[in-house]
Amino acid sequence: MNEKNPGIDRRQLLKTSLALGLCALTPSELRANDDSTVTLPFERGRRPLVAFPQKRPLMVMTTRPPQLETPFHIFNEDIFTPNDAFFVRWHLANIPQEIDVNTFRLTIRGRVNQSLSLSLHELHTQFEQIEIAAVCQCAGNSRGFFQPRVPGGQWGNGAMGNANWKGIRLRDLLHRAGITGDAVQVRFDGLDQPVAQATPDFRKSLPLNDALQEEVLVAHSMNGKALPMLNGYPLRLVAPGWYATYWVKMLNDIEVLNQADQNFWTTQAYRLPADPCHCVKPGEALTNTVPIGKLPVRSFITNLEEGRTIPGGEPCTIKGIAFDQGYGIDRVLFSVDGGQQWQSARLGKDFGDFSFRSWEAQFIPKPGHAYALQSLAINRIGESQRFSARWNPSGYLRNVIETVNIQTS
Amino acid sequence: MRVCMFCIVFLWGTGLAWGLPATGDDREPASILTLPADPISFQPGPGSDLASRYCLMCHSAEYVYMQPPHSREHWMEIVNKMKTTFGCPISNEDMGPLADYLVTQNSLQPSPSAQHVQRDDWMETPGQPLTQSGDPQKGKAIYERHCVTCHGPGGKGDGPIGQALIPPAANLTFLGKQSDQTILDTLRNGRPGTAMPAWKNDLNALELNHLLSFLRTLAP
Repeated sequence: MNEKNPGIDRRQLLKTSLALGLCALTPSELRANDDSTVTLPFERGRRPLVAFPQKRPLMVMTTRPPQLETPFHIFNEDIFTPNDAFFVRWHLANIPQEIDVNTFRLTIRGRVNQSLSLSLHELHTQFEQIEIAAVCQCAGNSRGFFQPRVPGGQWGNGAMGNANWKGIRLRDLLHRAGITGDAVQVRFDGLDQPVAQATPDFRKSLPLNDALQEEVLVAHSMNGKALPMLNGYPLRLVAPGWYATYWVKMLNDIEVLNQADQNFWTTQAYRLPADPCHCVKPGEALTNTVPIGKLPVRSFITNLEEGRTIPGGEPCTIKGIAFDQGYGIDRVLFSVDGGQQWQSARLGKDFGDFSFRSWEAQFIPKPGHAYALQSLAINRIGESQRFSARWNPSGYLRNVIETVNIQTS
Repeated sequence: MRVCMFCIVFLWGTGLAWGLPATGDDREPASILTLPADPISFQPGPGSDLASRYCLMCHSAEYVYMQPPHSREHWMEIVNKMKTTFGCPISNEDMGPLADYLVTQNSLQPSPSAQHVQRDDWMETPGQPLTQSGDPQKGKAIYERHCVTCHGPGGKGDGPIGQALIPPAANLTFLGKQSDQTILDTLRNGRPGTAMPAWKNDLNALELNHLLSFLRTLAP
């Protein structure tokens, strides 16, 4: 056992695999009952499974523009979400249907000493190539679970994914262009366009200091392959720790600004109540708002699902994942009684502070009982998940402790 | 053999191979995206023509059918947001009837988005074969109800909404070279990547053929 990989030694692994078969659901059991739909546990939660280009069948929330959710059992199969299972979310329907890799250019302009226009070949050959594991989570992930319900994309928990992103540091590009002294923000624009001229083009901005962090990449690959078109081919911004709204897809324009970005998607969309909780009472009007930012700490159980019956009297290994905004997961606690008592879970291999972290815990359920399984992740600065769900009118930032109710035979 | 190996390594190393479609199990070339047509449209009913005209130019009907129940007041807020924030050219008098329609759709059980829709189910409507002779006069009435705001009275793509679209609405006077089948397919399924919605759930096969007959008078 080394420090980077504390959780699991060989003996434990053996014990684990022996115990696993007794209670955990097999991959096929975790999949949908039929192959054509998945039903999320909220009203109007039935989603057809359809294969879009370069994708396996995913849960279709909307076809145009495409919004596709990853079926949750995928998160039990690999700590890295396969490219063809990775969720998809576009805002505007006018998405290029073809990219000419020879004429594509990424421009860096605005408050810089010298504007740049770089080909894919130049980006690939003239800059250091960096790889980082990071979670990409939609701001509206889990919105469908808000009570009372809120308008917007009705996602379950599958609008997230973890990948090894490869590309070049944004700051290497900015430094080559040379940032002028009055720069304050960096704005990102992709090739997608609105269908109606009056619709604001989708653009997002980061404060300059955040844009210059070493982990922020202009990525061309995920999990060792070119980005799928629906995940932003040929380039997307990868802003580890930040909500996915900032991870602009089909990125072709980077503009350094000398004042705060005034575009709609920053000043009016993706806003949170400004109070520290970022929550309000249902129905209460918002007064002060701030832009959504980084990921609060979350964890999930991945190998059991709500309402299942497992054998009683046998050891049961519960598996799951945890993540936060990049401080890293310090520990995960596990409860079988709805949070009255907690035990420590074992953490799995550490793929970096921005990655999913696997965990597992064992318990021996009694026959004929009901259990409320919960997990609670705590990051390295001591932030934990919330014990009660926050509410805000856009359905952002859910990180309450999730519960999986099961029975034993 | 050794030279060849070197070539491959050299090409990869210079990045010339980069950006090309990845090999392996990719289902189509990496730089091409062919998106499916909308699987569902708005269910027929009072106001469905408004929803088709205004909502479908930017997004599929699933955006409505996935929503949890919202009050009429809430739907009015959404309609207003689409008009004022996202620039949907909804006329003031259409706002109320559109919200009324959205409320009725929002309470349908089960939600149409849960249904698997056969792409070509309309073809199986008894007594309505694929192509038939339509009535251009009836087609004109349909055109004026559904099409004119984008494509304009003469079909030149110069309707009040059509010029505000990216790309602008198509000039239908250039349709002369296209086959009946191609035009009917576009009418039924829309054109992905544009504001042209799928009309197969709003217009049946007979109505589509009336419309086709009228379009032929624009583009002989």
